[in-house]
Amino acid sequence: MVIATDILDKYPDLPDTNPSGTHLDWAWLAGHESEWGIRPKPSARGLTMMDIAVGSYGEVPEVPKHRAMAARGADIDDDVPDMGYILNKKSDVWAENVSELYEEAVARQWSATRDIPWNELQELPSDLEHAMCQLCTTLSEIEMIASDLPAKWRWRMNHEFLEAKMFLCTQIMDEARHTEVFRKRALANGGGLLKSRAGTESLLRTIIEAKTYTQATALLHLLGEGFILDLFRQGEAIAPTEVEKRIFRMTMQDEARHVAYGTLHIRHSVENDPDVAEEIHEALDHGEHAMVALGGNPDMSTSLALLLAGGAEKVEEVGFPLQQRLNKNQFTSYLARCERAGISRLERTQLPLDKLGIDIEAIKGPGG
Amino acid sequence: MIDSLTLYDRLAKEMADSPNQYELLGDIDMDLAIVMNRPDGSAFRLMLGFAGINCEKVAEVEAGDEANADCWLVGDLEHFQAMFDNITANGQATGEWTLNTLTLMDERILLRASDPMGWDMFHRFNQTLQEFFDGASSVLSSATSEES
Repeated sequence: MVIATDILDKYPDLPDTNPSGTHLDWAWLAGHESEWGIRPKPSARGLTMMDIAVGSYGEVPEVPKHRAMAARGADIDDDVPDMGYILNKKSDVWAENVSELYEEAVARQWSATRDIPWNELQELPSDLEHAMCQLCTTLSEIEMIASDLPAKWRWRMNHEFLEAKMFLCTQIMDEARHTEVFRKRALANGGGLLKSRAGTESLLRTIIEAKTYTQATALLHLLGEGFILDLFRQGEAIAPTEVEKRIFRMTMQDEARHVAYGTLHIRHSVENDPDVAEEIHEALDHGEHAMVALGGNPDMSTSLALLLAGGAEKVEEVGFPLQQRLNKNQFTSYLARCERAGISRLERTQLPLDKLGIDIEAIKGPGG
Repeated sequence: MIDSLTLYDRLAKEMADSPNQYELLGDIDMDLAIVMNRPDGSAFRLMLGFAGINCEKVAEVEAGDEANADCWLVGDLEHFQAMFDNITANGQATGEWTLNTLTLMDERILLRASDPMGWDMFHRFNQTLQEFFDGASSVLSSATSEES
């Protein structure tokens, strides 16, 4: 290890060993070979990830040269070890809005401890409290898969796609908070955690065992989170008190962000690698069946219907019909997002579109 | 009053005057349009431009311009009036009168977007939008006091 001449010219007093005798080259004192002097300017809200995406630092390679944890844009040794990443194409993980979504996620974090007005909980009629507790039990169960699934794949993503990895970290935190807040709500009003069924667990296993990240993200971000987003919308609408309204609104915001990543990630993926379209379709063929089954999960659907009805007396008269109407919204939103993602399901889906009352033209056209 | 710029200018000022409240909720970046259909067949069309923790744009727009927003709310003036009445009576929207519930039911006030990404934005920033409109509680109450 020898100190380069240009460094010695500038700093002639540098020693070539440290006190323990290790040889030193002080190479970093030469600065970056091309980017020294780049000075990103903070925007109105501070120094964002978009602000620092300048010069070569903002260039995300389609296929990175290295498979190391080295910081993208640094002077990287050629012999850095391979970390075993398997998602090494930008199209594997990227979405054009991912930096913005990361900043949004960081700015819009919230606390299930502090930001929910827990002291405003009110005693509810027994049937409503049971229904809310059952809904929260199921949600607490299924929310964590949206942490586990990105976590399963995130460490296999090339580190040069750091913005995507950072965004998925926020999703993992979001879903941990969702598990927390629904568990807290189930317990906080004197009810508790109710039924958990084998059928639900089997469906979750189908999702977590997706064979590729592309299939996993289609199932999770486009299909699953889209449905849960609509479920949270319904939850806010039927919330008996401001406590539940706030819970569902805050979780809804997080969920919509995850869906926004998924929609544009799938689009980026398909545009840059059309071969993955069939892979995504196959995943959604199975996933739609699974989602219908999950939506039809007797515990979740009946608890939701009872809440929609405002009590046990009007479940048949009000709850189930309203639920069917809202299911139409759920499937319409999902199919519209598939169109936006460039993976039209209208000709392929086995969902009973007529029976659900889906207006295909509205999905195809603007303003829907 | 709800179909004039005055209310929304004051809501924007209320937001600007409450940085602690909106900082906690986080940044919002979206354009939301509102189309209120008056009984006489005319419509009040409004564009609200949110950036950071402020509502930086409050402007009337021409028919059709709502499609330039990320998403828009459309409904009869009477339904918007009922929503604001609920907000004023309770200090915030309650029950069926929250933005999400109204648009979920798709009957009185409809959520529309040219792009599903815009439709999703309404939900990504929903708590901020709700608190922005909930600000009408103090604005409309003080306006009523001033009139009397």
